[in-house]
Amino acid sequence: MLFTCLSMQANAQLRQLIVTVIDDYNKPVPGVNISLETHERAPFAAPDGVYVFKDLSPGDYTLRISMAGYRSFSKKISIAGHDISLPVTLHPNIHTLQEVVVQNNTIGQRKKEEQLNLEIVRSDFIQKNLGGSLMQSLERLPGVKTIGIGAGQSKPLIRGMGFNRVVVIDKGVKHEGQQWGADHGLEIDQFAAEEIEIVKGAASFIYGSDAIAGAVNIKPAAMPAANSFGGDINLIGKTNNALYGASLNIYRRTQKWFVAARATAQDYGDYRAPADRLYIYDYPIDLHRSYLRNTAGKEINTHFSGGYIGKKARSVFYLGNTYSKSGFFANAHGLEPRKVNAVMHDRSSRDILMPYQKVNHFKLINRSSIRLSDHDIELEAGYQNNFRQEYNRYVNHGFMPPVYPDSMTIPIDLERAFNKNVYSLNIRDRVKLNLHELQFGINGEIQNNAINGWSFLVPSFDQKTIGVFLYDRLSINDQALLHAALRYDRSHIHIHPYADWFPSPVEQNGETSQIQVTRADNIRRSFNSITGSIGINYNLEHIELKANAGKSYRIPTAKELGANGVNYHYFSYERGNTGLKPEESYQLDATASFTKNKWSVQLSPFFNYFPNYIYLNPTAEHDYLYGAGNQMFEYTQARVVRYGGELQVKYQAWENLSAEALIEYLYAEQLSGDKKGYTIPFSPPPSTLLNLTYSPIHTGPFRRIYLSVDYRITAAQRHIVPPEKKTSGYTVMNVQAGGRFAIQKQQAQISLQAQNLFNTRYLNHTSFYRLIGLPEQGRNIVLSIKIPFNFLTNKQAS
Amino acid sequence: MHLRNSFRQGMMDVPSAHQKHKNITMKQQTKMLSALFAILGAAFLMTGCSKNKASIDTEYPTIDVTSSAAFPKQCSELVRGQKFTATILVADNAELGSVSIDIHHNFDHHSHSTEVEECNMGPVKTPAKPLLLVKSIPIASGNKSYTVSEEIEIPADVDPGDYHFMIRVTDKEGWQTLKGLSIKIN
Repeated sequence: MLFTCLSMQANAQLRQLIVTVIDDYNKPVPGVNISLETHERAPFAAPDGVYVFKDLSPGDYTLRISMAGYRSFSKKISIAGHDISLPVTLHPNIHTLQEVVVQNNTIGQRKKEEQLNLEIVRSDFIQKNLGGSLMQSLERLPGVKTIGIGAGQSKPLIRGMGFNRVVVIDKGVKHEGQQWGADHGLEIDQFAAEEIEIVKGAASFIYGSDAIAGAVNIKPAAMPAANSFGGDINLIGKTNNALYGASLNIYRRTQKWFVAARATAQDYGDYRAPADRLYIYDYPIDLHRSYLRNTAGKEINTHFSGGYIGKKARSVFYLGNTYSKSGFFANAHGLEPRKVNAVMHDRSSRDILMPYQKVNHFKLINRSSIRLSDHDIELEAGYQNNFRQEYNRYVNHGFMPPVYPDSMTIPIDLERAFNKNVYSLNIRDRVKLNLHELQFGINGEIQNNAINGWSFLVPSFDQKTIGVFLYDRLSINDQALLHAALRYDRSHIHIHPYADWFPSPVEQNGETSQIQVTRADNIRRSFNSITGSIGINYNLEHIELKANAGKSYRIPTAKELGANGVNYHYFSYERGNTGLKPEESYQLDATASFTKNKWSVQLSPFFNYFPNYIYLNPTAEHDYLYGAGNQMFEYTQARVVRYGGELQVKYQAWENLSAEALIEYLYAEQLSGDKKGYTIPFSPPPSTLLNLTYSPIHTGPFRRIYLSVDYRITAAQRHIVPPEKKTSGYTVMNVQAGGRFAIQKQQAQISLQAQNLFNTRYLNHTSFYRLIGLPEQGRNIVLSIKIPFNFLTNKQAS
Repeated sequence: MHLRNSFRQGMMDVPSAHQKHKNITMKQQTKMLSALFAILGAAFLMTGCSKNKASIDTEYPTIDVTSSAAFPKQCSELVRGQKFTATILVADNAELGSVSIDIHHNFDHHSHSTEVEECNMGPVKTPAKPLLLVKSIPIASGNKSYTVSEEIEIPADVDPGDYHFMIRVTDKEGWQTLKGLSIKIN
């Protein structure tokens, strides 16, 4: 060190500038875009956020530093008789407007301190990879897939598990829709999501029952900065299903009070797949100009928020409503593949005819927090109503009368309806005691679920759950963190009785009588559970390690306990089992990551054991009375083992070119029961995503320009379980391009994508429609533009 | 002047930032890291390759609706007030489960059949008293092939017209195959 200093002094003319870049938490920020105008040469970049410009002649320079997620920095520098050392603090910028109050640590820091495997993406990522729905936009992340229906709706699948095994948290409150169903999506507006955190792995000890496979935590838009008045507009267009949409956001904040509003509307036509003829259970279906008949839809969402932001206390109200109407693929809804009035359906690709569904989700949430001496107390209280209706022409199934009776009060075309009211309350207290950071909390939820319609699958029910947890994070030293969590839950479910509205012939003692059969009895079940977890983080300069061992659980759903009817999508008769035990899962989870110079590598293996995984088992039986002659699928429990992991490798070849590989693998096997040796349903095949991104540095008025190619190679899935089918491997190429440019000092963002560039015909193993052989969307060009605006000039603002 | 002072202060800070992680050397870190990745990588590969176990049955059972013995066939015609014998030939590579047959009206022309041949259809009409028959037929365990022979009586008072004759067969593992035939009741 001494030598270098001396040699620097020895050189009389040429000087150097040493820039140390740190963030708000005094952590070094490596990998920034840094330039010193008018000096030609790039600096030497050390991995710890230190950048050295060598051989500088005396004179005036301008230093510019930029980095995704941070505000840009620039400063005039005069080099004279000596070397200069300059510390620079970069401030995060998570809003499209530069004025924003930052509540969170940077992403890297949070990953370092979280014991579970965590992926965090921001609205930039969604904008860049915009899919038909929020989850489809996130599908690029390793270990994250979706169970989708068509082009506009999907549900999360984390490491091959979805439905009630993944919790979705929206604005701090568990999102409660009809999680059990595969034929509709998540009632979330993807334009309103500012930041999304995906926890891969058992997380019941934080989020309660259902987070047995992971959690998707959707954070609302960040608070606008004090004394601001602005907004943004987002415009979207897609070619495959002729989608157009817009989302408008406006906010206003004084020093301590704020209001914000957002409205989103989208309208789309039938989606197109590269196919002219499909075979659904051997029934041939001809497609008109490759359109999947009646998969059009529309969506209208409105959101309002407002509240008080003080130094020690804040309280924010959120009011939102999402509404969607979308068609079901007309040829495959009912007890058998259907011949439809093709002339009627093919007249327009935009109309929504029967069968279709309407889903409305209303939310009212209050989030408040207060700081009392050392305690941070947080509260979330929420009310949600989820109302989903399936409309279809009356078709008698089994012993239903051939003509719908006039005496019925249920509308003739209302096949099914689910109306759910949910009240939630979370209270948490965080406190720091020396090296410990303790968190104590309580979660409670009350649900009422009512049903309607002329067909029956799931009974109506009430459910109450309450959970308490204690979480301790201990900082052993600068490098190591220990975590321990313990949770107790109690839940009660009450299933309401249900009998058919029509008589069926029942044989008793050789005599046949006409009886309205009972499909659900009055059932009450209570469940108790203790879950917990221990974990460690160990962070060195280039290496981050984390490991976690834990137990999670999930209470059986009303469908698993009480289903007793025909599932029209799968042409099956589903029967619940009132004796099911809560599902338990033991999981080991680790992540090792390494970042040095141009390389970053992350490996996240996991191992998972279920002593009693709940599984819908297709039996060899048929049922004529309850199941209209369909094959009986029965809920059972089996021992299941799962393991796999994700590997991410990134190589920053040059400042403007990077290559990335994301690899994921999953293996699952049932160790007991009828399907011993088989996998579990919806197990994604291994896949690799190869990416090349070019982001030029000097691009004139355009900033942060990127051109990126994703090439996904998916292996065949031959590990299947009835009623699945083997899926062949495929490769799909997506191309993304975009950047930012200034419109009146605001950074407008433009993104263009070509999804499935080569119009490849492929089947996605985790698609809901895969079972009936519907291929995925063909080529789709997606254009989206986001333009922020500001109603105040800087003078007015200050 | 003020600027220069802050630069001097900064200069003092730089070496300390460099020193921060010196307690574990670069070499040690690299060693630890290679060991770790070797272990994790090996574990990852091992789990990925240990798949050679007793193969599971993924074959669907079959229904033969074209053999000369099979009845009804696509476009068969049945007569009200008479009995007929449904003869259904099913087979599986391992073990059959059960058969279900279902006769329901197709007065609304709600679907084709699984067969290529199209039959002559009567006009669309509203049902008054259509024939409805749903019947589960168990198959004794251990059978790889089986011929269902089921006598069915068509009541004299049901609506004549286009019907579907649906056959579903499962195997022991729960794989199901279905056939839908278009028939006519006169």
